[in-house]
Amino acid sequence: MSKFKAWLKTIIFYEILVGMRATLMHLLHYKPITVQYPHEKRTLPSGYRGMLALLRYDDGTEKCVGCDLCEAACPSRVIRVVSAEVPGEPTKRYSKEYYMDMTRCLFCGLCVQACPVDALGMTREFEWSVYDKRQLHLNKEQLLAIGDRSYPVREKRLEMQHPNVAFFNVAYKTLPQKAS
Amino acid sequence: MTELGLRAAISLVQIAAVMGVVMLTVMILTLAERKVLGWMQDRMGPMEVGPYGILQPIADGLKLFFKEDIVPAGANKFLFSLAPILALVPALIGFAVIPFGPNDTVEMFGIAFKPFVISDINIGILYILAFTSIGAYGIILGGWASNSKYSLLGGLRSAAQIISYELNVGLAIVGVLLLSGSLSLVKITEAQSGWFWNWFVIALPFPQIFAFVVYVISSVAETNRLPFDLPEAESELVAGFFTEYSGMRFAFFFIAEYANMVLVSCIAAILFLGGWNAPAPFLQFNGSLANLAWLSGIFWFTVKVYFFLFLFFWIRATLPRLRYDQLMRFGWKVMLPIALANILLTSIAAYLFPTGKP
Repeated sequence: MSKFKAWLKTIIFYEILVGMRATLMHLLHYKPITVQYPHEKRTLPSGYRGMLALLRYDDGTEKCVGCDLCEAACPSRVIRVVSAEVPGEPTKRYSKEYYMDMTRCLFCGLCVQACPVDALGMTREFEWSVYDKRQLHLNKEQLLAIGDRSYPVREKRLEMQHPNVAFFNVAYKTLPQKAS
Repeated sequence: MTELGLRAAISLVQIAAVMGVVMLTVMILTLAERKVLGWMQDRMGPMEVGPYGILQPIADGLKLFFKEDIVPAGANKFLFSLAPILALVPALIGFAVIPFGPNDTVEMFGIAFKPFVISDINIGILYILAFTSIGAYGIILGGWASNSKYSLLGGLRSAAQIISYELNVGLAIVGVLLLSGSLSLVKITEAQSGWFWNWFVIALPFPQIFAFVVYVISSVAETNRLPFDLPEAESELVAGFFTEYSGMRFAFFFIAEYANMVLVSCIAAILFLGGWNAPAPFLQFNGSLANLAWLSGIFWFTVKVYFFLFLFFWIRATLPRLRYDQLMRFGWKVMLPIALANILLTSIAAYLFPTGKP
């Protein structure tokens, strides 16, 4: 009997009919999962790791203290930092030059975690396709510009400033007075 | 002389109309296929050109028209140019004997002609079979003339496949011919008038349901559609016989494939589903509206043809490609015996219970 059933199923193409019913059900209950990308975009998850950026404080000073830890943390050697003293401030350093080769970046976020002063941030930008690969070699000004448009407000927490430690890079004019 | 000229003019107008309708159908099909496949696979299909992508066929046509015409090095230029035409012409020429609507005779300028069939020849189905077989030459020559291994393999596969399944198509329709007693598509359709149980797919004395299934499967194989698209299997042969083709020559192959689909759908609708006949007599214009019967006839014919075309897309969305030995085994060991047995049983039934049809 089961043999007869199997034979019957073969001659009426039972499996094919089941499959065709499945496709027809998808046609009738049409719910596309496609996102029409340039016109509509997916909601990015929180903690999305997009384009890297250098950040500033509210008063316009750069956060980066030129410590090179990001360069050390980077697994694919994206970052190159040239560190220098702040002119006239022998205890403070800043990054004179800061380069990122975004063609190699794998967006792991290790540099952001390594940064002791939160000078690096990952924005939510991801549409960085360019016609010329060299446009992905970013310098400090470009990275700061990305940071400015993605992180408009970064407050400066002066209470964390120890007077004898070159921790925050601060604008010269608003230097907190050292305790004497 | 004027009569001859008038006849030629009327025929040309008919040919132009039918060609226009077929080309329009092909245009609709290219969009409909992508849309239906998309919907079945939870996608949207083309959405960019025009509202909901309905102008996509025009964009595709423009793109193909303006593309560079490339003839590969070492190709046989003459055959390379001839092959797309050889594929396209047989696909379009078959529509000459397809009756789209009722077999009315209209008299205009003193000349009687049938508006819904270009030429009602008494061997219509034989003529279509003969010409669709020529279409295989286009594919084989295109594959050979391209000077490419993939093209040649695609062409050879296509030759084997079309020969195998052309045979089954021919044998599957013999049952219908036995029951209707004619090779003319108009007469075959007229033999199925009345209620839907007069359609040959379920008509007594012997329902042609097996022949119908054999015909549908074989026609899918004959038009090189999935799941029988071995000649152009992307994963194995790049694009099969038209790997080297681009621009308008590729478009010719493309149109030929879709025109073939329309043609086999028309034949299936005429032979098995009663052509222009409505499922029930009251579903067509009659009585006081009897002179509008052609409208309902064309409507029902279109519905049936589009049902088959949808079936093509549906099967394509559902089934994966067959392996080559499966294809051949299925054609020769399954389809062929069924078709032969169907002929035998139909002729016995037609002998024992003559339908009274000529």
